Amino acid sequence: MSRVKATVDFIHAWQHADEIADEVEAELRFHVQMRTQANIAEGMTPDEAQLAAKQSFGDFDQIKMSCCEIKRGLPFNMKPIRMGLYIAIACLAGGFALVAVNLPHHNLFGVLWQLAAIAVLMCAFLVGRRKQ
Amino acid sequence: MAKSKAGLLQGTLDMLILKALSLGALHGYGIGQRIAQISGDELKIEEGSLYPGLYRLEHRGWVQSEWDTSENNQRAKFYKLTRAGRKQLTLEERNWERLAGATMKALRAS
Repeated sequence: MSRVKATVDFIHAWQHADEIADEVEAELRFHVQMRTQANIAEGMTPDEAQLAAKQSFGDFDQIKMSCCEIKRGLPFNMKPIRMGLYIAIACLAGGFALVAVNLPHHNLFGVLWQLAAIAVLMCAFLVGRRKQ
Repeated sequence: MAKSKAGLLQGTLDMLILKALSLGALHGYGIGQRIAQISGDELKIEEGSLYPGLYRLEHRGWVQSEWDTSENNQRAKFYKLTRAGRKQLTLEERNWERLAGATMKALRAS
């Protein structure tokens, strides 16, 4: 159930990025406000309290950005998908290469086919490199 | 006298957030307060770092959140532990105990 909810949240986060950013900001501002009130209760002036609250919170914009990025993150592990893609492209490249060596090399179709095989092999190489 | 406070590793913070929420639903500020309370004010957490941790835990399905009214009548986002989060906490507590035990054993070796 939580996986389904995570997927719904992921789609929602992409569709309503501004709304999510506002929500994150409201949450973080609430924290700073609570800390400011606590600091005032401990005897600081409002200005000192607010400054101390901001300092103890850390980099507000950076934290907000991190939270938004996590919200927009994929709700599942990409590794098996990438591995599957790599295997599929490698199989495709093998198939292309097999057809290419059996084609006559002196006509345009044969040359184009060989170029396509090289392109697919390049894709497999690039996906393989990204996997590392 | 100034007390030296320990910094936290990423995984440890996540575990402490789960622990704090195992005692009941809280908003982010409350989680920070509860961690300070249950650690006897020994653990120093940069308050803002709680939030990426919370979002990560929510993303993994270990906590869930909803907006509600706080103790001072303001709108706040409250987090609570899910069943998967409770299981994860148990697992992490066991791992932590094992790791801490092994480290102590190594440190006491003469």
